[in-house]
Amino acid sequence: MASRFWTQGGSDSEEEESDYDEEVETTVGESASQAVTSRYLQDNASDSDDSDGQKRVVRSAKDKRFEEMASTVDQMKNAMKINDWVSLQESFDKINKQLEKVMRVTESEKAPNLYIKALVMLEDFLAQALANKDAKKKMSSSNAKALNSMKQKLKKNNKQYEEMINKCRENPESEEEKEEEESEEEYESDDEIIEPEQLRRREAKSDSEASQYEDEKADDGEGPWDQKLSKKDRLLDRQFMKDPSEITWDTVNKKFKEVVAARGRKGTGRFEQVEQLTFLTKVAKTPAQKLEILFSVVSAQFDVNPGLNGHMPINVWKKCVQNMLIILDILVHYPNIVVDDSVEPDENESQKGLEYNGPIRVWGNLVAFLERIDVEYFKSLQCIDPHTRDYVVRLKDEPMFLVLAQNVQEYLERVGNFKAASKVALRRVELIYYKPQEVYDAMRKLSELTEDGDNGGEASEESKGFEESRIPTAFVVTPEVVARKPTFPENSRVLMDVLVSLIYKYGDERTKARAMLCDIYHHALLDEFPIARDLLLMSHLQDSVQHLDISTQILFNRAMSQLGLCAFRVGLISEAHGCLSELYSGGRVKELLAQGVSQSRYHEKTPEQERLERRRQMPYHMHINLELLEAVHLVSAMLLEVPNMAANVHDAKRKVISKTFRRLLEVSDKQTFTGPPDNVRDHVMAATRVLCKGDFQKAFDTIVSLDVWRFVKNRDTVLEMLKDKIKEEALRTYLFTFSSSYESLSLDQLTKFFDLSVSRTHSIVSRMMINEELHASWDQPTGCIVFQDVEHSRLQALAFQLTEKLSILAESNERATEARVGGGGLDLPPRRRDGQDYAAAAAAGSGAASSGGRWQDLSHSQSRQSSGRAGYGGGRSMVLGQAAGSGYSRGRGTGSGYRSARHQDASYGGSGRIAQGGSALRGPQSDVSTRMVSLKGVRS
Amino acid sequence: MPAATARSFLQVAATEEVAPPLRVVQIEGLVILKIIKHCKDHSPSLVTGQLLGLDVGSVLEVTNCFPFPMREEDEEIEADGANYQLEMMRCLREVNVDNNTVGWYQSTLLGSFQTVELIETFMNYQENIRRCVCIIYDPSRSDQGVLALKALKLSDSFMELYRSNNFTGEKLREKNLSWVDIFEEIPIKVSNSALISAFMTELEPDTPVTQCDYDRLQLSTSSLMERNMEFLIECMDDLSLEQQKFQFYYRSLSRQQAQQQAWLQKRRAENMARKAAGEEPLPEEDPSNPVFKPLPEPSRLESFLITNQISNYCNQINGVSGQSFNRLYLMKALHED
Repeated sequence: MASRFWTQGGSDSEEEESDYDEEVETTVGESASQAVTSRYLQDNASDSDDSDGQKRVVRSAKDKRFEEMASTVDQMKNAMKINDWVSLQESFDKINKQLEKVMRVTESEKAPNLYIKALVMLEDFLAQALANKDAKKKMSSSNAKALNSMKQKLKKNNKQYEEMINKCRENPESEEEKEEEESEEEYESDDEIIEPEQLRRREAKSDSEASQYEDEKADDGEGPWDQKLSKKDRLLDRQFMKDPSEITWDTVNKKFKEVVAARGRKGTGRFEQVEQLTFLTKVAKTPAQKLEILFSVVSAQFDVNPGLNGHMPINVWKKCVQNMLIILDILVHYPNIVVDDSVEPDENESQKGLEYNGPIRVWGNLVAFLERIDVEYFKSLQCIDPHTRDYVVRLKDEPMFLVLAQNVQEYLERVGNFKAASKVALRRVELIYYKPQEVYDAMRKLSELTEDGDNGGEASEESKGFEESRIPTAFVVTPEVVARKPTFPENSRVLMDVLVSLIYKYGDERTKARAMLCDIYHHALLDEFPIARDLLLMSHLQDSVQHLDISTQILFNRAMSQLGLCAFRVGLISEAHGCLSELYSGGRVKELLAQGVSQSRYHEKTPEQERLERRRQMPYHMHINLELLEAVHLVSAMLLEVPNMAANVHDAKRKVISKTFRRLLEVSDKQTFTGPPDNVRDHVMAATRVLCKGDFQKAFDTIVSLDVWRFVKNRDTVLEMLKDKIKEEALRTYLFTFSSSYESLSLDQLTKFFDLSVSRTHSIVSRMMINEELHASWDQPTGCIVFQDVEHSRLQALAFQLTEKLSILAESNERATEARVGGGGLDLPPRRRDGQDYAAAAAAGSGAASSGGRWQDLSHSQSRQSSGRAGYGGGRSMVLGQAAGSGYSRGRGTGSGYRSARHQDASYGGSGRIAQGGSALRGPQSDVSTRMVSLKGVRS
Repeated sequence: MPAATARSFLQVAATEEVAPPLRVVQIEGLVILKIIKHCKDHSPSLVTGQLLGLDVGSVLEVTNCFPFPMREEDEEIEADGANYQLEMMRCLREVNVDNNTVGWYQSTLLGSFQTVELIETFMNYQENIRRCVCIIYDPSRSDQGVLALKALKLSDSFMELYRSNNFTGEKLREKNLSWVDIFEEIPIKVSNSALISAFMTELEPDTPVTQCDYDRLQLSTSSLMERNMEFLIECMDDLSLEQQKFQFYYRSLSRQQAQQQAWLQKRRAENMARKAAGEEPLPEEDPSNPVFKPLPEPSRLESFLITNQISNYCNQINGVSGQSFNRLYLMKALHED
């Protein structure tokens, strides 16, 4: 069948060809319009089939209007015939006016079919005219102008009747009962012609369908079908079809160069080019040539969608993947072919045939192509509405890409290009890291199931179809060497480990960083918090992440939030809070995780920024549930903050663990009436309020009533853990708040209150005593807690505050002298370290200060102050000692804090991304701390 | 009497050439009472007033005073204040009261008077009156049974420095001026005319204990201590702020020095090259270069004043706590008996 078609094209003589285009166009237009006319006449001129212009004596107003309209339509048709856009435009205006009248007469809301038909016809003709570039060029200027304005008008006008037009296009029969067979077919063909692109796509997709068409058209004899192929295409075909055996490498090469040269030029259809190149691959003489052409095909396919915002059509994408697989087939099959993009290969490199044994260099970059394919896949997922079926269908294409990536990676490893292989591995990692084991399993099963039946079958069928339709056999037959089915290990972790270790070994910095983040994310997903945390801390990514690109920062944020969720699941509340608080401090979680754009009230974004942001968005299936994230963050903040608030009633502002939480609480406290909780925030606030009173059961019930918990893995154990924590914190809060009201409290009572085991209660209370949070002691025989009233007076509290301020001042003074003296600072820390007696340290401080030359004035006051203080009695110097002591221990505390941020858990906040401002200030301090660390090392 | 005054005026004029330093401020009892009344009535808001009197040798006699109306932060009203002052002076002259301005008095809260404003006002007065004092009265401290009255003036070296408005570390070292040297306190001598003294003796009750003595025995001092503490904390904050300013300055200074060095190095290398090529070397100083623009050093005045305040508070705390210890011991002894 196909060959018939091809030969048919070939049998036409060339002269005929040149003006055939237009001829066909006009004839088709004519026949179509004729058909339409007759149809309308039949329809509307109800009494007789006599044609237009016949004078009737009795006519209803309605008929009259219709007739007028029909005559206008006729005029339009005439104008179409001679391609006169000026008069067409006039007629169009006229018909619009008439429409109004008709509507008035018929008193119907719906525009008459006649009008719609005319619109359809006009639209089709317009599209046709626009598609025909040559004819357009030939048009007179006034005509061309009219064409353009017509285009605008029609577009505007048709919008109102869009629905009806579509209906009309879909099934003209339903509208027209007296439809004739002939006209229907005409109509359909008419439709076809104006959408050659669509048609071609359709043909590409399923050849059988196309052949059906061909059948039809071939029978028809008339060749609207021919029209969809451009002249060039046909020429090309003829050139090769005349005598397949005569095709030489040279001809193919020439043609190939020609086609490639046309790329990007105005007037070159992108789809056409893909078509042509695909055809050329079939006639390529050597594998190298085929490869070369295939590379061009792939890049031409990338060209199909030029915009940055849209995505590649999905079927093109699929074909692209198939092409890549064929490329790999060739590369694997002929190991002497080398792909390289660094050197411009020899002109005739691809002439070397099968016999040639030396390496053949072909220009191309597999990794770049693969990455581009991945990007296109990602973009398509960004664009498709996630709530439609399309999205799911699109997601099913993922294994296809994974196969390709796997194959490319294997090939690259075999070739020894590990650097590129690591890049490919990263792409694979990025497709897998966010999948929990269940999803991974599902994907594995899907790929196992469908690869055989659906995808693979389709693919092979497709390629078979091609070969059949185009040429009997391709010159270079490439066996499917490369696996078409992905092989996934049982466990996603295994796969991740393999890929990630490859990347760590060979990847560049960015690749490694990304892989590390993915790795962390995946570990966190599998509830392996310690491993994920160690990875994060060892990689020092927190320090360096602000220097990386934005998408990596987003990945970092994702990893952090996942880490937080993981910490929460395993019951490490403060760690969870540490991971998440930073994310929530700015109130722009959505943006930080690239899961939607949040409007900022204060500054408008430029469209440019908005577009950039939209391109960064994560596809829906990769999203981290924001509600869950918020719930986890707030609940962990609640668990930490409620006892903290209870402990520091006097100066609430001093120790704030979670600013965000405090703010929310303030806001919710301001409300005059609090309704039943509505969202996550309300729930947590309600729980906080009852927890402040120590009512754990109510708090827990409120929290549990959140329905986001169903997104948590092993929900029951997590909730059990949560309940436990809430009880514990409730106990602590209770003790903080009400200990002053008791003189003693029996342990039994407490265990009964909080539904905790005796040993548990005992340990909690004891811990509080040890930490000096609770001024009490155990009375063992009676099992009671005996409280001691050591409430600070206001004066004492103020004194404490003052000492704190003083120590800060002293600290910064020292830092200043250190910075100034430089050398003097070096011997300061050790002295300070063994300076358990603070006087020595103070002396060292003032000593260093006095050695500081220009700083004398300030140090003056300092030393004077300290000497003055020393003059006072024991009590006073004790206070001083305390002050200094707390200052120094604080210094050490921060030092160890830093160390722990490096080597241990917790306090991610400080060294995280956002804390950039203080870094300069912190510089010397962290210096000190590292020095202290090394010193400690020496000592121990 | 007018003749005597005139003579004393002449005396003053004659002695002025010698200009002995101010030793004592001699205040009339009436003036003190007026000041106390004015300050106490408006406490805790702060009030000011004018001191009138005579400058006799090393003694500054304050013989009269009048309060200023409550000031508000408005330029217009400030102008009114000046008018009021002039008008008042004119009226006083008309009724033949001393109307020679010798300074001003103001109330304060726990001695928090060492501010830039005070110095500015002082400098303003100093321009017109060679010898002027500021009397500070602290009503809150007076509640403790003390007459918290202080006469202050700025030290000469400080004034000189202030006029040049140059409080860099170098200058201060040059002048050997430290924070203690800003203010000078002048002893106050209260004088009453014989008539008044006699009258007072007449009025004096038989009991040797006065209300003032009872006040002194008051045991609760915590509120005062707390306030002092709060002020101290505030001062600490301010001082930290000053310190940060300095740190910032030194950081930028060292950065600039590094830049200068780099520039010099570059210029030298260039000069070497030029020398080799036989060209004239370029100058090693380039004033137009922004790198060489000297950075303004932050003023030390603020930190000096804060330090003064701090010492003031500390002294107060010391005094109060010392006294209260005494009282407590006394109480203890009484209880034991």
